[in-house]
Amino acid sequence: MHTIWVRLNAVVFFGLTVLLGLSCLAAVSKIGHSYYHQPVIHKLELKTLKSLKSHGGVDRALLSFDIHADMEPAFHWNVKQLFVYVVASYETDSKKVNQVVIWDKIVEAIDPVKEIKQENVFVKYALVDQGDELRGKDVQLQLMWDHMPITGFLYMGEQPKDTMTQFTLPSEYQ
Amino acid sequence: MIKDMFDKQVIELKKLWGNKRQLLFQLLNLAMIVFSALMIWKGLMFMTKSESPVVVVLSGSMEPAFQRGDILFLNNAVEEVGVGDVVVFKIKDRDIPIVHRILKVHEDENGKVELLTKGDNNRVDDRGLYAPGQLWLEREDILGKATGTLRYVGMVTIALNDYPVLKYVLVGMMGLFVLTSKEG
Repeated sequence: MHTIWVRLNAVVFFGLTVLLGLSCLAAVSKIGHSYYHQPVIHKLELKTLKSLKSHGGVDRALLSFDIHADMEPAFHWNVKQLFVYVVASYETDSKKVNQVVIWDKIVEAIDPVKEIKQENVFVKYALVDQGDELRGKDVQLQLMWDHMPITGFLYMGEQPKDTMTQFTLPSEYQ
Repeated sequence: MIKDMFDKQVIELKKLWGNKRQLLFQLLNLAMIVFSALMIWKGLMFMTKSESPVVVVLSGSMEPAFQRGDILFLNNAVEEVGVGDVVVFKIKDRDIPIVHRILKVHEDENGKVELLTKGDNNRVDDRGLYAPGQLWLEREDILGKATGTLRYVGMVTIALNDYPVLKYVLVGMMGLFVLTSKEG
């Protein structure tokens, strides 16, 4: 009954149970954190529209934007990194919802500066429509971020709707 | 020492074989463990509406968010998947599902969505990974949205996959212990 195997088994099993329990505690320890601690978004707006062209039947817009956001408040000890991204959303006749990520950045917990302050940032991914319906459309820019935990739940955060900016694309290719 | 312990186990097994009533009890015990695990799995499948509620990250394409060996809990009960969500999807004629992030969402009036994904650590989007000629993912391709993560646990699975022999060793050992261990 008291063989080394039984003891080993008990120790390993108990150890795993404790680890699992601690992981669960870590996961729930920051529930509600984002309710009180929101990143501060000072600015996210279009700087210049470089071009709006048709590429093989689909519309493609290239642009740059200004961004100033302090992501520090979103961090707590169970956040490994934030995946911060800029979403351009617009509505066309054929598609009621179009959401395109045009830029992203990973802010890690070990980064000393968690403030994103850049001007005239060129898009990482062009704003490409599924068809040829970009001309003359209103485009909203919104900052979103995904909390990547060390262990636990993934959850999203987004810029409040009332601080979002928008711009209108030209009605002709340019 | 190992041999000594092994011999002890063999003796225990022989004793057990002699005591049919005890053997039956231990077999039932074993069956209960196996079926409990199965029930938990099926229960999770039911609750999350996903055919695989837990997946192991096999590649580094989502680093630094997820590393090889992390496990992800999926939920497919959510109707909508949005831009920025980490999802697991399956490509036709490919066995292994992929964990990546949604880069684009286009939805028409009927609620039909078309999605494009990309791995955080990859330079380009996933069009090259999709089936030939496939430009977009649809909702049915998504196995679930990642809702939680637990680190390192999946290492066991990776090891078991890389060295299939381990599987039999592990299962055999567990079976042996359950059979030969005695209550109190």
